[in-house]
Amino acid sequence: MAKRKIGTRKEVFTNNDIAIHVAHLHKSFRLPTERSMSLKQTIFNRLRGVKGFKDQKVLSGLDFDIKKGEFVGIVGRNGSGKSTLLKTLAGIYYPEKGEIVIDGNLIPFIELGVGFNPELTGRENVYLNGALLGFSRKEMDAMYQEIWQFAELEQFQDQKLKNYSSGMQVRLAFSIAIRAKGDILLLDEVLAVGDAAFQKKCEEYFKSLHGNQTVILVTHSMENITRFCDRAILIENGKITLDGDPKTVAKAYKNLWS
Amino acid sequence: MKIPRVLNKKNRVLLAELTRTDFKLRYQGSVLGYLWALLRPLMMFAILYVVFGQLLRFGADIPHYPVYLLAGITMWSFFTECTNQGIQAMVVRGDLIRKISFPKYIVVVSATLTAVINMLINLIVVVIFALLNGVEPSWSWLLVPLSVLELYVLSLGISFLLGAINVKYRDITSIWDVCIQALFYAAPIIYPLSMVITSSVLAAKVLLLNPIAQVIQDIRYNLITTQTITTWDFIDNFWIKSIPIVIILIISVLGIYYFRKKSKFFAEEI
Repeated sequence: MAKRKIGTRKEVFTNNDIAIHVAHLHKSFRLPTERSMSLKQTIFNRLRGVKGFKDQKVLSGLDFDIKKGEFVGIVGRNGSGKSTLLKTLAGIYYPEKGEIVIDGNLIPFIELGVGFNPELTGRENVYLNGALLGFSRKEMDAMYQEIWQFAELEQFQDQKLKNYSSGMQVRLAFSIAIRAKGDILLLDEVLAVGDAAFQKKCEEYFKSLHGNQTVILVTHSMENITRFCDRAILIENGKITLDGDPKTVAKAYKNLWS
Repeated sequence: MKIPRVLNKKNRVLLAELTRTDFKLRYQGSVLGYLWALLRPLMMFAILYVVFGQLLRFGADIPHYPVYLLAGITMWSFFTECTNQGIQAMVVRGDLIRKISFPKYIVVVSATLTAVINMLINLIVVVIFALLNGVEPSWSWLLVPLSVLELYVLSLGISFLLGAINVKYRDITSIWDVCIQALFYAAPIIYPLSMVITSSVLAAKVLLLNPIAQVIQDIRYNLITTQTITTWDFIDNFWIKSIPIVIILIISVLGIYYFRKKSKFFAEEI
Protein backbone atom coordinates (compact mmCIF):
# COMPACT_ATOMS: atom_id res chain seq x y z
CA MET A 1 0.00 0.00 0.00
CA ALA A 2 1.31 3.42 -0.93
CA LYS A 3 2.71 5.33 2.00
CA ARG A 4 0.49 8.19 3.05
CA LYS A 5 1.88 11.69 3.09
CA ILE A 6 1.53 13.77 6.19
CA GLY A 7 1.58 17.51 6.66
CA THR A 8 2.44 19.17 9.93
CA ARG A 9 0.38 20.31 12.86
CA LYS A 10 2.21 22.13 15.63
CA GLU A 11 1.10 23.54 18.94
CA VAL A 12 3.08 26.48 20.23
CA PHE A 13 2.68 29.08 22.93
CA THR A 14 3.94 32.51 21.88
CA ASN A 15 2.97 36.15 22.30
CA ASN A 16 2.32 36.67 18.60
CA ASP A 17 -1.16 37.84 17.72
CA ILE A 18 -1.92 34.93 15.38
CA ALA A 19 -3.89 32.14 17.08
CA ILE A 20 -4.23 29.77 14.13
CA HIS A 21 -2.07 29.72 11.03
CA VAL A 22 -3.13 27.50 8.16
CA ALA A 23 -1.11 27.24 4.95
CA HIS A 24 -1.79 25.12 1.84
CA LEU A 25 -3.87 22.70 3.82
CA HIS A 26 -4.91 19.61 1.89
CA LYS A 27 -6.86 16.64 3.13
CA SER A 28 -8.29 13.65 1.38
CA PHE A 29 -9.81 10.46 2.66
CA ARG A 30 -9.18 6.95 1.52
CA LEU A 31 -12.52 5.46 0.72
CA PRO A 32 -12.49 1.71 0.31
CA THR A 33 -13.88 0.55 -3.02
CA GLU A 34 -15.65 -2.74 -3.74
CA ARG A 35 -15.85 -4.00 -0.16
CA SER A 36 -12.16 -4.07 0.69
CA MET A 37 -12.98 -4.02 4.39
CA SER A 38 -12.13 -7.67 4.91
CA LEU A 39 -8.72 -9.23 5.07
CA LYS A 40 -9.61 -11.69 2.29
CA GLN A 41 -10.61 -8.93 -0.12
CA THR A 42 -7.47 -6.94 0.65
CA ILE A 43 -5.25 -9.90 -0.10
CA PHE A 44 -7.14 -10.60 -3.37
CA ASN A 45 -6.96 -6.95 -4.33
CA ARG A 46 -3.27 -6.85 -3.77
CA LEU A 47 -2.65 -10.03 -5.74
CA ARG A 48 -4.63 -8.64 -8.65
CA GLY A 49 -2.92 -5.26 -8.36
CA VAL A 50 -6.14 -3.44 -7.53
CA LYS A 51 -5.75 -0.48 -5.19
CA GLY A 52 -8.88 -1.24 -3.17
CA PHE A 53 -9.47 2.40 -2.32
CA LYS A 54 -9.88 5.74 -3.95
CA ASP A 55 -8.79 9.11 -2.64
CA GLN A 56 -11.60 11.54 -2.00
CA LYS A 57 -10.37 15.12 -1.93
CA VAL A 58 -12.06 17.09 0.83
CA LEU A 59 -9.84 20.12 1.46
CA SER A 60 -7.76 21.45 -1.39
CA GLY A 61 -5.33 24.15 -0.45
CA LEU A 62 -6.70 26.31 2.34
CA ASP A 63 -4.80 29.38 3.54
CA PHE A 64 -5.90 31.61 6.38
CA ASP A 65 -4.76 33.16 9.65
CA ILE A 66 -6.95 33.75 12.64
CA LYS A 67 -5.98 36.45 15.08
CA LYS A 68 -6.13 36.05 18.82
CA GLY A 69 -9.49 37.21 20.14
CA GLU A 70 -11.22 36.92 16.80
CA PHE A 71 -14.68 35.28 16.52
CA VAL A 72 -14.74 33.59 13.14
CA GLY A 73 -17.68 31.81 11.53
CA ILE A 74 -17.23 29.11 8.93
CA VAL A 75 -20.10 28.46 6.55
CA GLY A 76 -20.71 26.25 3.55
CA ARG A 77 -23.05 23.60 2.23
CA ASN A 78 -23.20 20.06 3.55
CA GLY A 79 -20.13 18.18 2.38
CA SER A 80 -18.13 21.31 1.58
CA GLY A 81 -15.42 20.34 4.09
CA LYS A 82 -16.26 22.49 7.14
CA SER A 83 -16.30 19.68 9.65
CA THR A 84 -13.19 18.10 8.16
CA LEU A 85 -11.42 21.43 8.52
CA LEU A 86 -12.50 21.67 12.14
CA LYS A 87 -11.41 18.11 12.91
CA THR A 88 -8.06 18.69 11.23
CA LEU A 89 -7.53 21.87 13.26
CA ALA A 90 -8.45 19.89 16.39
CA GLY A 91 -5.84 17.24 15.64
CA ILE A 92 -8.37 14.44 15.20
CA TYR A 93 -7.44 14.07 11.52
CA TYR A 94 -3.88 14.46 10.29
CA PRO A 95 -3.28 17.07 7.58
CA GLU A 96 -2.25 15.44 4.34
CA LYS A 97 -0.26 18.37 3.04
CA GLY A 98 0.41 21.84 4.34
CA GLU A 99 0.89 23.34 7.75
CA ILE A 100 -1.20 24.15 10.78
CA VAL A 101 0.19 26.12 13.69
CA ILE A 102 -1.99 26.42 16.77
CA ASP A 103 -0.86 29.07 19.23
CA GLY A 104 -2.43 28.41 22.61
CA ASN A 105 -4.57 25.81 24.30
CA LEU A 106 -7.25 24.58 21.90
CA ILE A 107 -10.53 23.03 23.04
CA PRO A 108 -12.68 21.40 20.38
CA PHE A 109 -16.41 20.79 20.63
CA ILE A 110 -17.05 18.70 17.58
CA GLU A 111 -20.06 17.30 19.33
CA LEU A 112 -21.58 17.91 22.73
CA GLY A 113 -21.51 15.17 25.32
CA VAL A 114 -18.73 13.07 23.82
CA GLY A 115 -18.50 9.80 25.71
CA PHE A 116 -21.91 10.17 27.36
CA ASN A 117 -23.10 6.72 28.29
CA PRO A 118 -26.84 6.04 28.70
CA GLU A 119 -26.19 3.34 31.32
CA LEU A 120 -24.39 5.72 33.69
CA THR A 121 -26.03 8.25 35.98
CA GLY A 122 -25.95 11.96 35.26
CA ARG A 123 -23.35 12.39 37.98
CA GLU A 124 -21.04 9.72 36.52
CA ASN A 125 -21.41 11.15 33.04
CA VAL A 126 -20.43 14.62 34.25
CA TYR A 127 -17.13 13.28 35.60
CA LEU A 128 -16.48 11.19 32.50
CA ASN A 129 -17.19 14.03 30.11
CA GLY A 130 -15.10 16.34 32.27
CA ALA A 131 -12.16 13.93 32.06
CA LEU A 132 -12.43 13.98 28.27
CA LEU A 133 -12.08 17.76 28.45
CA GLY A 134 -9.05 17.35 30.70
CA PHE A 135 -10.55 18.04 34.12
CA SER A 136 -9.51 15.93 37.10
CA ARG A 137 -12.08 14.69 39.64
CA LYS A 138 -11.00 17.43 42.05
CA GLU A 139 -11.49 20.16 39.46
CA MET A 140 -14.87 18.71 38.56
CA ASP A 141 -15.89 18.66 42.24
CA ALA A 142 -15.27 22.40 42.38
CA MET A 143 -17.58 23.19 39.48
CA TYR A 144 -20.06 20.37 39.98
CA GLN A 145 -22.88 22.39 41.56
CA GLU A 146 -22.51 25.18 39.04
CA ILE A 147 -22.90 22.75 36.14
CA TRP A 148 -26.18 21.35 37.45
CA GLN A 149 -27.51 24.77 38.30
CA PHE A 150 -26.76 26.11 34.84
CA ALA A 151 -28.39 23.05 33.27
CA GLU A 152 -31.37 23.40 35.65
CA LEU A 153 -31.42 19.65 36.16
CA GLU A 154 -30.32 19.35 39.82
CA GLN A 155 -33.07 16.87 40.73
CA PHE A 156 -31.99 14.37 38.04
CA GLN A 157 -28.32 13.97 39.11
CA ASP A 158 -28.65 10.34 40.14
CA GLN A 159 -30.91 9.20 37.32
CA LYS A 160 -29.42 7.17 34.53
CA LEU A 161 -28.81 9.18 31.40
CA LYS A 162 -31.09 6.93 29.36
CA ASN A 163 -34.01 8.34 31.34
CA TYR A 164 -33.18 11.92 30.31
CA SER A 165 -34.96 13.50 27.36
CA SER A 166 -32.65 14.40 24.49
CA GLY A 167 -33.09 18.10 25.31
CA MET A 168 -32.00 17.46 28.89
CA GLN A 169 -28.94 15.54 27.73
CA VAL A 170 -27.81 18.37 25.48
CA ARG A 171 -28.38 20.93 28.21
CA LEU A 172 -26.20 18.95 30.60
CA ALA A 173 -23.49 18.52 27.96
CA PHE A 174 -23.54 22.22 27.12
CA SER A 175 -23.29 23.18 30.77
CA ILE A 176 -20.16 21.06 31.17
CA ALA A 177 -18.66 22.27 27.92
CA ILE A 178 -18.77 25.95 28.76
CA ARG A 179 -16.66 25.37 31.91
CA ALA A 180 -13.72 24.39 29.75
CA LYS A 181 -11.33 27.30 29.64
CA GLY A 182 -9.03 27.37 26.66
CA ASP A 183 -7.38 29.97 24.48
CA ILE A 184 -9.14 28.78 21.34
CA LEU A 185 -12.60 27.22 21.11
CA LEU A 186 -13.78 25.18 18.14
CA LEU A 187 -17.55 24.86 18.01
CA ASP A 188 -19.50 22.78 15.53
CA GLU A 189 -23.23 23.60 15.41
CA VAL A 190 -23.80 23.68 19.13
CA LEU A 191 -25.80 26.85 19.47
CA ALA A 192 -29.26 25.42 18.97
CA VAL A 193 -29.68 23.87 22.38
CA GLY A 194 -32.72 23.39 24.60
CA ASP A 195 -35.87 25.52 24.92
CA ALA A 196 -36.23 29.26 24.46
CA ALA A 197 -35.21 30.12 28.03
CA PHE A 198 -32.08 27.98 27.85
CA GLN A 199 -31.21 29.37 24.43
CA LYS A 200 -31.18 32.82 25.93
CA LYS A 201 -28.64 31.74 28.54
CA CYS A 202 -26.47 30.23 25.83
CA GLU A 203 -26.59 33.40 23.78
CA GLU A 204 -25.46 35.42 26.77
CA TYR A 205 -22.57 33.04 27.14
CA PHE A 206 -21.56 33.48 23.51
CA LYS A 207 -21.79 37.23 23.79
CA SER A 208 -19.50 37.08 26.81
CA LEU A 209 -16.95 35.17 24.74
CA HIS A 210 -16.94 37.87 22.12
CA GLY A 211 -13.71 39.83 22.23
CA ASN A 212 -12.22 37.76 25.07
CA GLN A 213 -11.64 34.51 23.34
CA THR A 214 -10.62 33.12 19.98
CA VAL A 215 -13.60 31.18 18.64
CA ILE A 216 -14.17 29.29 15.43
CA LEU A 217 -17.81 28.50 14.88
CA VAL A 218 -19.19 26.24 12.17
CA THR A 219 -22.86 26.89 11.60
CA HIS A 220 -25.68 27.01 9.08
CA SER A 221 -27.42 29.84 10.87
CA MET A 222 -26.67 33.16 9.13
CA GLU A 223 -28.36 34.89 12.04
CA ASN A 224 -25.65 33.63 14.37
CA ILE A 225 -22.95 34.55 11.85
CA THR A 226 -24.01 38.17 11.67
CA ARG A 227 -24.75 38.40 15.38
CA PHE A 228 -21.62 36.91 16.92
CA CYS A 229 -18.83 36.86 14.35
CA ASP A 230 -16.20 39.46 13.48
CA ARG A 231 -15.35 37.62 10.33
CA ALA A 232 -16.70 34.77 8.26
CA ILE A 233 -15.24 32.27 5.82
CA LEU A 234 -17.23 30.60 3.07
CA ILE A 235 -16.04 27.18 1.93
CA GLU A 236 -17.14 25.54 -1.30
CA ASN A 237 -15.84 22.16 -2.47
CA GLY A 238 -12.87 22.29 -0.14
CA LYS A 239 -11.75 25.77 -1.13
CA ILE A 240 -12.20 29.18 0.47
CA THR A 241 -14.32 31.27 -1.87
CA LEU A 242 -14.93 34.24 0.39
CA ASP A 243 -13.26 35.50 3.54
CA GLY A 244 -14.28 38.71 5.23
CA ASP A 245 -17.23 40.68 6.57
CA PRO A 246 -19.95 38.40 8.08
CA LYS A 247 -22.80 40.24 6.34
CA THR A 248 -21.21 39.87 2.90
CA VAL A 249 -20.49 36.21 3.52
CA ALA A 250 -24.03 35.57 4.80
CA LYS A 251 -25.41 37.11 1.61
CA ALA A 252 -23.10 35.04 -0.59
CA TYR A 253 -24.12 31.91 1.33
CA LYS A 254 -27.81 32.58 0.69
CA ASN A 255 -27.02 33.20 -2.99
CA LEU A 256 -25.60 29.69 -3.31
CA TRP A 257 -29.14 28.43 -3.75
CA SER A 258 -30.59 31.17 -5.95
CA MET B 1 5.89 10.74 21.76
CA LYS B 2 8.01 12.12 24.57
CA ILE B 3 7.96 10.55 28.00
CA PRO B 4 6.62 13.62 29.86
CA ARG B 5 3.72 13.88 27.43
CA VAL B 6 2.80 10.23 27.73
CA LEU B 7 1.88 10.60 31.38
CA ASN B 8 0.85 14.23 31.62
CA LYS B 9 -2.04 15.21 33.83
CA LYS B 10 -4.68 15.22 31.12
CA ASN B 11 -3.77 11.70 29.97
CA ARG B 12 -3.68 10.35 33.53
CA VAL B 13 -7.10 11.80 34.30
CA LEU B 14 -8.53 10.32 31.12
CA LEU B 15 -6.99 6.91 31.74
CA ALA B 16 -8.35 6.77 35.29
CA GLU B 17 -11.85 7.86 34.30
CA LEU B 18 -12.12 5.49 31.31
CA THR B 19 -10.94 2.57 33.45
CA ARG B 20 -13.45 3.44 36.16
CA THR B 21 -16.23 3.60 33.56
CA ASP B 22 -15.23 0.32 31.91
CA PHE B 23 -15.21 -1.46 35.25
CA LYS B 24 -18.57 0.00 36.26
CA LEU B 25 -20.22 -0.82 32.94
CA ARG B 26 -18.95 -4.40 32.85
CA TYR B 27 -21.30 -5.54 35.57
CA GLN B 28 -24.02 -2.95 35.01
CA GLY B 29 -27.50 -4.38 35.38
CA SER B 30 -26.45 -7.72 36.88
CA VAL B 31 -27.83 -8.69 40.29
CA LEU B 32 -24.55 -9.98 41.70
CA GLY B 33 -22.51 -7.15 40.17
CA TYR B 34 -18.78 -7.20 40.88
CA LEU B 35 -19.15 -10.65 42.45
CA TRP B 36 -19.13 -12.03 38.91
CA ALA B 37 -15.48 -11.08 38.62
CA LEU B 38 -14.90 -13.77 41.26
CA LEU B 39 -17.62 -16.22 40.39
CA ARG B 40 -16.73 -16.73 36.74
CA PRO B 41 -13.24 -18.21 37.23
CA LEU B 42 -14.42 -20.12 40.32
CA MET B 43 -17.19 -21.77 38.31
CA MET B 44 -14.85 -22.58 35.46
CA PHE B 45 -12.49 -24.04 38.05
CA ALA B 46 -15.30 -26.17 39.53
CA ILE B 47 -16.15 -27.61 36.09
CA LEU B 48 -12.57 -28.33 35.09
CA TYR B 49 -11.73 -29.76 38.51
CA VAL B 50 -14.65 -32.22 38.41
CA VAL B 51 -13.95 -33.27 34.81
CA PHE B 52 -10.15 -33.43 34.84
CA GLY B 53 -9.26 -33.77 38.51
CA GLN B 54 -11.97 -36.20 39.66
CA LEU B 55 -13.21 -38.04 36.54
CA LEU B 56 -10.06 -38.19 34.44
CA ARG B 57 -7.72 -38.21 37.47
CA PHE B 58 -5.24 -35.63 36.17
CA GLY B 59 -2.64 -34.30 38.53
CA ALA B 60 -2.57 -37.18 40.99
CA ASP B 61 1.21 -36.69 41.19
CA ILE B 62 1.00 -32.95 41.95
CA PRO B 63 0.55 -31.74 45.53
CA HIS B 64 -2.27 -29.19 46.01
CA TYR B 65 -3.58 -29.96 42.51
CA PRO B 66 -6.87 -27.97 42.91
CA VAL B 67 -4.99 -24.75 43.77
CA TYR B 68 -2.43 -25.53 41.08
CA LEU B 69 -5.30 -25.77 38.60
CA LEU B 70 -7.00 -22.62 39.90
CA ALA B 71 -3.79 -20.56 39.64
CA GLY B 72 -3.40 -21.63 36.00
CA ILE B 73 -7.00 -20.85 35.14
CA THR B 74 -6.81 -17.45 36.84
CA MET B 75 -3.81 -16.41 34.79
CA TRP B 76 -5.31 -17.84 31.61
CA SER B 77 -8.60 -15.93 32.16
CA PHE B 78 -6.54 -12.80 32.66
CA PHE B 79 -4.72 -13.33 29.39
CA THR B 80 -7.89 -13.96 27.37
CA GLU B 81 -9.85 -11.12 28.98
CA CYS B 82 -6.96 -8.70 28.58
CA THR B 83 -6.35 -9.44 24.91
CA ASN B 84 -10.05 -9.63 23.97
CA GLN B 85 -10.81 -6.27 25.59
CA GLY B 86 -7.58 -4.73 24.33
CA ILE B 87 -8.05 -5.77 20.72
CA GLN B 88 -11.63 -4.51 20.61
CA ALA B 89 -10.97 -1.34 22.58
CA MET B 90 -10.50 0.91 19.54
CA VAL B 91 -13.75 -0.26 17.97
CA VAL B 92 -15.71 -0.01 21.23
CA ARG B 93 -14.41 3.51 21.85
CA GLY B 94 -14.68 4.54 18.19
CA ASP B 95 -17.04 7.33 19.16
CA LEU B 96 -14.34 9.04 21.25
CA ILE B 97 -11.64 8.55 18.64
CA ARG B 98 -13.78 10.21 15.99
CA LYS B 99 -14.58 13.22 18.14
CA ILE B 100 -11.65 14.17 20.33
CA SER B 101 -7.91 14.19 19.93
CA PHE B 102 -5.98 12.20 22.53
CA PRO B 103 -3.24 9.55 22.59
CA LYS B 104 -4.98 6.40 21.39
CA TYR B 105 -2.98 4.03 23.59
CA ILE B 106 -5.08 5.28 26.53
CA VAL B 107 -8.10 3.44 25.16
CA VAL B 108 -6.22 0.14 24.96
CA VAL B 109 -4.60 0.48 28.37
CA SER B 110 -7.87 1.43 30.09
CA ALA B 111 -9.64 -1.57 28.55
CA THR B 112 -6.94 -3.96 29.79
CA LEU B 113 -6.78 -2.39 33.27
CA THR B 114 -10.25 -3.75 34.01
CA ALA B 115 -8.83 -7.22 33.38
CA VAL B 116 -5.92 -6.39 35.69
CA ILE B 117 -8.31 -5.44 38.51
CA ASN B 118 -10.29 -8.66 38.01
CA MET B 119 -7.09 -10.70 38.01
CA LEU B 120 -5.81 -9.11 41.23
CA ILE B 121 -9.08 -9.97 42.99
CA ASN B 122 -8.83 -13.53 41.70
CA LEU B 123 -5.22 -13.82 42.76
CA ILE B 124 -6.25 -13.01 46.33
CA VAL B 125 -8.75 -15.88 46.12
CA VAL B 126 -5.97 -18.17 44.88
CA VAL B 127 -3.82 -17.23 47.86
CA ILE B 128 -6.69 -17.87 50.28
CA PHE B 129 -7.34 -21.28 48.66
CA ALA B 130 -3.63 -22.07 48.82
CA LEU B 131 -3.51 -21.33 52.57
CA LEU B 132 -6.67 -23.39 53.18
CA ASN B 133 -5.12 -26.21 51.20
CA GLY B 134 -2.07 -26.25 53.45
CA VAL B 135 0.45 -24.49 51.21
CA GLU B 136 3.19 -22.94 53.35
CA PRO B 137 3.72 -19.17 52.81
CA SER B 138 7.17 -18.56 51.39
CA TRP B 139 9.45 -15.72 50.33
CA SER B 140 9.19 -16.94 46.74
CA TRP B 141 5.60 -15.53 46.73
CA LEU B 142 7.22 -12.14 46.24
CA LEU B 143 8.34 -13.23 42.78
CA VAL B 144 4.75 -13.76 41.59
CA PRO B 145 4.10 -10.08 40.70
CA LEU B 146 7.08 -10.24 38.31
CA SER B 147 5.51 -13.09 36.38
CA VAL B 148 2.15 -11.29 36.37
CA LEU B 149 3.84 -8.21 34.96
CA GLU B 150 5.49 -10.33 32.28
CA LEU B 151 2.11 -11.71 31.20
CA TYR B 152 0.60 -8.22 31.19
CA VAL B 153 3.36 -6.92 28.93
CA LEU B 154 2.68 -9.78 26.52
CA SER B 155 -1.08 -9.11 26.60
CA LEU B 156 -0.56 -5.40 25.98
CA GLY B 157 1.82 -6.10 23.09
CA ILE B 158 -0.73 -8.40 21.44
CA SER B 159 -3.51 -5.86 22.08
CA PHE B 160 -1.56 -3.02 20.45
CA LEU B 161 -0.56 -5.08 17.44
CA LEU B 162 -3.85 -6.84 16.74
CA GLY B 163 -5.96 -3.92 17.96
CA ALA B 164 -4.37 -1.63 15.37
CA ILE B 165 -5.04 -4.13 12.58
CA ASN B 166 -8.58 -4.71 13.88
CA VAL B 167 -9.46 -1.06 13.26
CA LYS B 168 -9.44 -1.78 9.55
CA TYR B 169 -9.94 -5.51 9.36
CA ARG B 170 -12.50 -6.70 11.86
CA ASP B 171 -11.66 -10.31 10.95
CA ILE B 172 -8.97 -10.12 13.62
CA THR B 173 -11.51 -10.57 16.43
CA SER B 174 -12.70 -13.88 14.97
CA ILE B 175 -9.20 -15.08 14.16
CA TRP B 176 -8.07 -14.33 17.70
CA ASP B 177 -11.02 -16.29 19.12
CA VAL B 178 -9.71 -19.39 17.35
CA CYS B 179 -6.11 -18.68 18.39
CA ILE B 180 -7.23 -18.43 22.02
CA GLN B 181 -8.85 -21.87 21.80
CA ALA B 182 -5.69 -23.38 20.35
CA LEU B 183 -3.42 -21.64 22.86
CA PHE B 184 -5.50 -22.94 25.76
CA TYR B 185 -4.71 -26.54 24.86
CA ALA B 186 -1.13 -25.69 23.87
CA ALA B 187 -0.34 -24.57 27.43
CA PRO B 188 -0.23 -26.99 30.36
CA ILE B 189 -3.18 -25.42 32.16
CA ILE B 190 -5.62 -28.27 32.73
CA TYR B 191 -3.26 -31.16 32.10
CA PRO B 192 -0.02 -31.56 34.08
CA LEU B 193 3.18 -31.38 32.07
CA SER B 194 4.26 -34.76 33.42
CA MET B 195 1.59 -36.33 31.19
CA VAL B 196 3.29 -34.89 28.11
CA ILE B 197 6.73 -35.96 29.28
CA THR B 198 5.66 -39.62 29.46
CA SER B 199 4.91 -39.59 25.73
CA SER B 200 7.51 -37.10 24.46
CA VAL B 201 10.15 -35.10 26.30
CA LEU B 202 10.74 -32.95 23.22
CA ALA B 203 7.05 -32.00 23.02
CA ALA B 204 7.15 -30.94 26.67
CA LYS B 205 10.19 -28.77 25.98
CA VAL B 206 8.51 -27.11 23.02
CA LEU B 207 5.38 -26.43 25.11
CA LEU B 208 7.52 -24.68 27.73
CA LEU B 209 8.85 -22.20 25.14
CA ASN B 210 5.37 -20.67 24.96
CA PRO B 211 5.57 -17.51 27.12
CA ILE B 212 2.12 -18.19 28.58
CA ALA B 213 3.19 -21.66 29.70
CA GLN B 214 6.43 -20.27 31.10
CA VAL B 215 4.59 -17.61 33.16
CA ILE B 216 1.94 -19.98 34.48
CA GLN B 217 4.52 -22.62 35.49
CA ASP B 218 6.66 -19.95 37.20
CA ILE B 219 3.69 -18.71 39.20
CA ARG B 220 2.80 -22.26 40.24
CA TYR B 221 6.42 -22.92 41.18
CA ASN B 222 6.77 -19.80 43.31
CA LEU B 223 3.28 -19.82 44.82
CA ILE B 224 2.25 -23.43 45.23
CA THR B 225 4.79 -26.17 44.80
CA THR B 226 8.44 -26.40 43.80
CA GLN B 227 7.57 -29.71 42.13
CA THR B 228 6.26 -27.66 39.18
CA ILE B 229 8.28 -28.16 36.00
CA THR B 230 9.49 -24.75 34.79
CA THR B 231 11.15 -23.61 31.57
CA TRP B 232 14.29 -22.67 33.52
CA ASP B 233 14.82 -26.12 35.07
CA PHE B 234 13.66 -28.28 32.20
CA ILE B 235 15.61 -26.71 29.33
CA ASP B 236 19.39 -26.60 29.62
CA ASN B 237 20.58 -24.38 26.81
CA PHE B 238 20.58 -20.74 27.94
CA TRP B 239 19.70 -19.39 24.49
CA ILE B 240 16.82 -21.76 24.03
CA LYS B 241 15.34 -21.12 27.45
CA SER B 242 15.32 -17.39 26.84
CA ILE B 243 13.01 -17.83 23.83
CA PRO B 244 9.81 -16.98 25.82
CA ILE B 245 11.31 -13.65 26.89
CA VAL B 246 12.49 -12.93 23.34
CA ILE B 247 8.99 -13.66 21.98
CA ILE B 248 7.47 -11.18 24.45
CA LEU B 249 10.04 -8.52 23.57
CA ILE B 250 9.48 -8.92 19.83
CA ILE B 251 5.68 -8.81 20.11
CA SER B 252 5.74 -5.74 22.39
CA VAL B 253 8.21 -3.74 20.31
CA LEU B 254 6.42 -4.65 17.08
CA GLY B 255 3.03 -3.89 18.65
CA ILE B 256 4.04 -0.46 19.94
CA TYR B 257 5.80 0.46 16.69
CA TYR B 258 2.88 -0.59 14.48
CA PHE B 259 0.26 0.99 16.76
CA ARG B 260 2.07 4.34 16.85
CA LYS B 261 2.47 4.31 13.10
CA LYS B 262 -1.19 3.54 12.42
CA SER B 263 -2.84 5.50 15.23
CA LYS B 264 -2.72 8.74 13.21
CA PHE B 265 -5.34 7.36 10.87
CA PHE B 266 -7.62 5.62 13.37
CA ALA B 267 -10.06 8.53 13.40
CA GLU B 268 -10.71 8.22 9.66
CA GLU B 269 -10.65 4.48 9.42
CA ILE B 270 -12.67 3.35 12.36
